[in-house]
Amino acid sequence: MGLIISAVLALFLEDVIYSVAALAGTFFFTALIYIQNGAFFAAIFQFAVGIGTLAVLFLSGEMLGDKPAKKASPKRTGALIGVGAILSMPAIFLSVSGSTGTTSNLDFGDALWNIRGLDVVLQALVILTVALGIVIVLHEKKKKDGQ
Amino acid sequence: MLAIGIYGLLTNRQLLKVFISVELIAIAATLNFVMLASSMGVGLGQAFLILAFSTDTAVSGIILALLVIVSKKYGTSDISKILQAIENKDETEVEA
Repeated sequence: MGLIISAVLALFLEDVIYSVAALAGTFFFTALIYIQNGAFFAAIFQFAVGIGTLAVLFLSGEMLGDKPAKKASPKRTGALIGVGAILSMPAIFLSVSGSTGTTSNLDFGDALWNIRGLDVVLQALVILTVALGIVIVLHEKKKKDGQ
Repeated sequence: MLAIGIYGLLTNRQLLKVFISVELIAIAATLNFVMLASSMGVGLGQAFLILAFSTDTAVSGIILALLVIVSKKYGTSDISKILQAIENKDETEVEA
């Protein structure tokens, strides 16, 4: 329920900074769901990625976000929380229950390094290429602005 | 989560809110991996989750770079104002 409510608040709050704060709640609740399902590594990754994304979003939200003309009323915020609560009802009552019985002994470490070893290296290459691309784009833009 | 993200993507006019919508869609996808892996009892879902996270991070980086460029160029992060500025620029070029 908290996940859906914070997601709705993140999208529909007027001020970008409040939206980013609500997105922090979304990341937190997602990590909690991962822990509940026994995915501790996923929760740690979610925290790490989430903190990085939030830091960048806070900075860009402060730099680029247009300030709203009027402050959001508590009534509107309450209405958004209500909408989020209503939207989360199906997820609560129609939740998928537990294990289906097709358990295996394959744990996270085995799955990551024995099955997907090459894939992980290729992933790192893709991320490096994207990071270099972003640096080049921003560098070209800076050079163009300087002329 | 996917539905909320897509709705936000279609209705929001601010670039940062669009970015947040994309993040929500990515969370929906990663949540799907974990729930499926948890219900089947295999660790492979978590391993594939890392691929989803890295893709998400790469997409976030590209979107933020584009967002900064567009916001600096037009001085606003509102999509309707940006479109208006582009239209005004086109009209000025046609008149010239």
